[in-house]
Order: sequence, then structure tokens, then C-alpha cells
Amino acid sequence: MSIETLPAEKPKRNYSVLFGLTLLLLLVALWIALSLATPSFASGINIANLLRQGSMIAILAVGQTFVIITGGIDLSVGAIVGFCTVIPALMINAGWPVWVAILATLLVGVGIGLFHGFGIVRMGLPPFIITLATLTSLRGIGLLMTNGNSISINNDAFQEFSRNSFLGVPNLFWMVILVGVPSYIFLHHSRWGRYLFSVGSNAEASRLSGVNVPRTIYMAYILSGLCAAFVGVLLASRIGIGNPTQAEGWELQAIASSVIGGTSLFGAIGSVHGPLLGAFILATINNGANLLNVNSFWQRVITGALIIIIVYFDGLRRRSSK
Amino acid sequence: MNSTAQELHPAPVLEPGRTILELRGLEKKYPGTHALKPVDLAFKAGEIHAVVGENGAGKSTLIKLLTGVISRTSGEVLWEGEPVALATPHEAMALGINAVHQEMVLCRHLTVAGNMFLGEESVSYGLLQKRKMIRDAQKILDDLGFDLPAHVGLGDLTIGQQQLIAAARATVRGTKFLIFDEPTAYLTRKEADQLFTLIRRLKGEGVTIVYISHRMEEVFELADRVSVLRDGTLVGTRNIAETSDAELVRMMINRSIEQIYHKEQFEPGAAILETKNLSGKGFEDVSMAVRAGEIVGLYGLIGAGRSEFVTTVYGRNRKSAGTVLWQGKEVAVNSEHDAIRLGMALAPESRRDQGLCLNLPVSLNLNLPIYKRISKSLLISHTQEKAQADRQIAGLRIKTPTRNVLASSLSGGNQQKIVIGKWLNHGAKLFIFDEPTVGVDVGTKAEIYRLFSTLLAGGAGIILISSYLPEVYELSDRLHVFRAGRLVASHGFRAATHEDVLTQAIG
Repeated sequence: MSIETLPAEKPKRNYSVLFGLTLLLLLVALWIALSLATPSFASGINIANLLRQGSMIAILAVGQTFVIITGGIDLSVGAIVGFCTVIPALMINAGWPVWVAILATLLVGVGIGLFHGFGIVRMGLPPFIITLATLTSLRGIGLLMTNGNSISINNDAFQEFSRNSFLGVPNLFWMVILVGVPSYIFLHHSRWGRYLFSVGSNAEASRLSGVNVPRTIYMAYILSGLCAAFVGVLLASRIGIGNPTQAEGWELQAIASSVIGGTSLFGAIGSVHGPLLGAFILATINNGANLLNVNSFWQRVITGALIIIIVYFDGLRRRSSK
Repeated sequence: MNSTAQELHPAPVLEPGRTILELRGLEKKYPGTHALKPVDLAFKAGEIHAVVGENGAGKSTLIKLLTGVISRTSGEVLWEGEPVALATPHEAMALGINAVHQEMVLCRHLTVAGNMFLGEESVSYGLLQKRKMIRDAQKILDDLGFDLPAHVGLGDLTIGQQQLIAAARATVRGTKFLIFDEPTAYLTRKEADQLFTLIRRLKGEGVTIVYISHRMEEVFELADRVSVLRDGTLVGTRNIAETSDAELVRMMINRSIEQIYHKEQFEPGAAILETKNLSGKGFEDVSMAVRAGEIVGLYGLIGAGRSEFVTTVYGRNRKSAGTVLWQGKEVAVNSEHDAIRLGMALAPESRRDQGLCLNLPVSLNLNLPIYKRISKSLLISHTQEKAQADRQIAGLRIKTPTRNVLASSLSGGNQQKIVIGKWLNHGAKLFIFDEPTVGVDVGTKAEIYRLFSTLLAGGAGIILISSYLPEVYELSDRLHVFRAGRLVASHGFRAATHEDVLTQAIG
């Protein structure tokens, strides 16, 4: 593996772009190395599979990044995904049109985000606590709604969607673009994006400068909840069932992707392209390890080591570029 | 291991008057900047040696070199006649060189005693002897004449009191050479007096003191000799008896002292803001008015309620009684948002905590209040964002390589210019400046005062809060004195003496 691709020279300007390029280089290096190591990697089927695997975590990571930039954390996204496989399953089986089911699910995500914002802004709870509470209780609510059973979705078209491709690219990956492009514009080209950064950097200074801090916090958690609900719909389509225990631990994968992508857990530093690349780096490692028959337990160890190495180098260069 | 806390007995030092530390051609270059040009300077044992200069003159570089935080590019440092490397902070401390920094680095959650003995705790059988340490610490504090308890958490003390603890801490470490970096920036007069007592006492015990300050009268009150730095060069060293305010300022900035407090009188216009019997958290029953074209100064000790008053006017905190009139009409200011919409701007007291997003670019900080204005529907106009930032950087002469560097990388004076610049960008009828020149060098101060005149000429009103009497005294058309949350006296421009104002503030 090629940590050597991280350039030792410190960049003076456009740090985030350079870091993004470094990550992209790492991803490409991984792909080349795996193509040489195993012929099955570069096959069309496997690449499509890899894109599908990475897509859902990538979308979660983007939502998560909005929250982390404000200096918060959203531990509930995995549970929201699981819960949001149940809603479309129940609604579609009850005969609702698919688009109504999807819309309702997305609204549930918005509602959960609103609740988080309320807990943080109005009740003064730390983000870690309020989202931890949602993490546990949402899974419980989902289990109550399904009696602990998986619900098979009786709609082939709904399930076809996640298996199909458009222009040779899996539909799930198109969904990453569908989320990623508006997110990029929102974060880097709208004033709301600037406010997310400023609140994460110094909430009091932002407030005194006329920034509506509570609204900004609500917005971050709503976006995170919305992304998670969307992923819930995609997962329901992919596995064809509604099951609230799905997506166990995805919140940690989303946080890991975001952090690998250069987001600072202290807030005020982050981008949209970083977490996307981070998610696909993680997906590539898992995919490659499967192909190479590496013990799946080792995959976890490698992922952990990678988080440490990348964040260490990132921090090192950030410090030296000051 | 059984180590005991040291008493207040500095290690034996050289006889007074001999050279304790000598710099020969000491130089520091950073990539792109020559922070300190070769400096030759000798510190005498037991003297109080003031170092003055504008921000960026090389004072911090000098401190960092002497305390081993950074390594020198060339030159020699002789300690008691022997060359020393001063490569690490540890080496400097082992020699007896210590520093008390403006931004204090102590643990807020530990007790006062815990902080004073941090790193050299009294231990018995591996367990902390907390009661012994509190006793010892209390003895030292009482000895020093500080009226402070040793058993409370450090975070329960005011910033000024914490600073005193930091100074006391430095004295228990066998210090022979102690550097104070702007120690009085956040102190009340009483606390400053206590600190001066401590400094004189240390001098009496033979400790060499290096005292860095922007405040001239402190230099004259304390120092034996004074060295002036400008642009990384040592301009000269004077015996304090043989120099004057005017000469030092000239050496520092090549400009005369009359030019600093730049003041133009304008014909006052209509009232912009009036408060009638306004009360809130920290202040009571304050009635005052600000008219277009005038500076209203609020003077008082720290904690007298001035900042609380303006933050309430600004909508940050709720008022409990009274009314606020804006251009003659009664208004309800329930949030900062309301205040900004009316036309108020606040440059708050603490740049670090309230003024700036330090780990974000200069450009974002300058544009923060006006993003709505420079957005077309959903998107920010990047051309305008750049133009607005560059306009303020050029107009205020903010020294920064580009608009994209982080605010934290700028010096204190330039950071303050960003805080002011973001409101110039936004525009306002009433500007509230809360301690705008704390930790700001003389040159920048003069620039800020000139800016006040520009704002007044444009028909704005200014509220100026300062704990530094000469500043409010020389600049205010109307000077209000606060004491314990109440407005106790009001004076016209230079209508009372310094002594009167001070007496009213202390009560």
C-alpha cells in the first residue's frame, strides 16, 4: 500500500484541494495495485459492485460532515438508515405509491434532524448525547413496528432500481452524484455553507456578527437526517426488505469516511469531496480484501490503521503549513 | 520519592549590576521574514528591563528565543558568561529563565494550589498531599500580599486573578530571570498594583525581570532600563531616568505622541441611541444618549458593568427594565439580529472568544455579516466576496499575505483590524467598540483612532469602552464613568482631571 504517495512537501495554499488530490491519488494507487494483484478486481461486475458498496456510506458521510463542521456529531445515522428501511417497506406493502413512500421516509429523516436540533438548541444537550439517545431508541421503535420481523417488499420495480445501471454506471452511484453536487454547491458556494463553518469555528463570534446560530445547527442535523433517510430508501431497495437492525455501525463508517476525507472533529474544517473519497477508499479496501481472501477480521484492523495513518499525516501537514 | 514544594526563595543570584544574560548578534529568520535582526544586548542581574515596540517588532521572537521555544538562526547567548544553546524550554527553565505569558497556560479545572505546584507536587507514598500543598500555596500567596484563596478552582477566579497566580507560580521555581509578556492587559488597577508589588519584591531578591508592555506609564513606573525594538531591530536602550514618553514613542514608531490620539470635533447631530433607566444583568438604571458625530466613552474598572450594558443594548442579553430609543423611537432589541438590522455594530471585548473565527480565512471573517448582501438568490458572488475582503485589507492596511490565510496567523493588531473591518464592510449608524486597543501596538492604535474620525465624519456615532483612561479621556466627547453596575458620573471633553475620573471609578 502506498502511503508514499502522500507528498512530503507542504503546500502553502489551496490546502483542501491538494489534500483532495492526495486522497484521489491514494484511491487510484489502490485500484492499480489491486488490478495487478488480482484479475477479478478490474472486471466490470466488480467495479459496479464496488461503486454500489461505497455509495451508501458516501451519502451518509456527506450528511455527517455538515454536522461535524459545526463542531457536532451525529451518531444516529446508522439507526436512521435501519428505521428508514421499515417505512417504505410498510407503506409499499400497504399499497401506497412508491413516490409517496419515499417522500414520507425523507420527511421522517427531516423530523429526526429537527428533533436533534431541538435537543441541542433548546434543551442544551450535547450532540453526542441526543444522537446517542436516538440511536438506541430508533432501533427499538423500528423493532416494535415490525415485531422484530423482516418485512419483504412486494414491489419488483422498487428493487430493480438499485440493481440497474444508467449509462453503464450503477444507479446507486448516480445517487451519490445527485446528493454530492447540490451538497458541494451548498457547502462551498452558499452563505449557509459559510455559516456552518463559522458556527463550528466560533459560535459566539458568529452570533455577534448576526449569524442565526440555532437555525444553522438545525440545518446541519436536518441535512444529516435527510441524507440518512435517503440511504434508508436505497438500502430497502437494495436488500428488498425492511429491517430496523440493518446498517449496524454505519454511523462509525460514515464518521471514519468523513475524517479520512480531512474533516476535523473539532469543527470548521471539512469539504464535500473529502468524505466521498474517504468512503470509496474504505469500500475499496474491503472489496480488495475480499477478493484477495484476506480474513475479514483483518479488514477491520486495516481500516483502523488507515484512519490513524491518514489523519496523522493530515494533522502533520496542517500544523507545518501554518 | 518525596519531593517538597519550594518556598519563595529564588536561587542565589549574581551580585546586582553584573551581566547575567548577554545576547551577541542574536538573529532569527523565518522563511520570508527577518523576524529579529542581529541584536546585541546585556541584561544586568537584578534589574527591571522593559522591552517596548509595536506588534511585529520582534518582541515575541525575542521571548521565544530566550525561553527555548524556537531556535536561533545565528548569534550567541551567554548566561553568566558561558555560552548556552537554549535549545529547549526545559533547558531555559533549568537555567532559571521563566516567562509569564499574556495568554496564560494553566489548568482551569485544578485548584489554585494544584496549578502553583503543577509538575512538582508534594507527594507522600505516591499520594498527593493536597492539604499540604494548599497550605504552602496559601502561605506564598499571603506572603506576596495577594488576597486570593489557594483551595478554590482556578476557573472561579477572574482572568486578572489567574494572571496573578501565573506570576506567583513562576516565582516558586528557582527563577533568576523572569519575563512578563504584557501581564496587565486584562488586570484591574488594583490587581496591577499587586503584580507590581510582586515584581519589585522579586527585584529586591535579585531576580532579573524583563517587562514587555504597550503601556508607557507602566514602563516608567517599574523599569530601570528600557529597550526599544522596531521592525526586528534594536533601536536603542535607555536608562529610564534619562528618557521620556515622547522619545520612546518616537523611537518605536518614528512619529510624535500628539499624533496618536487623533481627535477631530464634529458638530453633534440628532440622537441615534438613547437609553432610559435601562437595567439588566450586571448593570442598573443607566440613562445616556449617543448623537451622530460624537464619541461617548464608557470608563470603569473591569466588571463595572460597561460591557454588560452594551451587550444588552446590542440584544445579546435581555434587559430587565427601562427603554431603548433608536433615532427617537422606542424599539425592542431582542436579538443581535434586531440590533444589526437597526444599524448597530459591536466590536466585542475579546477577539479570541467573541470577535473572530480564528481557524477560518481572513476573507470569511471580513464578510461574515454581509453574506446575505453578496449572495444572489442561493449562491455567493465570489467576485464580490473577494472584492469586499480586499477592500478592507487595503483600506485598513491589514498585514496578511492573502485574504485566504487563517485569521489565527495574524498578529493581535491585525486581528483587531479584521473585527473592525467586518463592520465597516457592513456599515452602521452606531459603532460600539469594546476595548478596541487591548494588545494592539501604538501604530495600529493611531490608525484605529483615525478611523473613528472617518466614521464620525460619515454621520455615525461611537460608543468607546476602555479600561485605559488616557484613551477614553482623550477621545470622548462625553465620558461616562461606571462603578459597580451604575453610571456614577458624566463629563464633557477633557472636563475633569484624570484623578477625578479615577476616583469616581474606584469609589
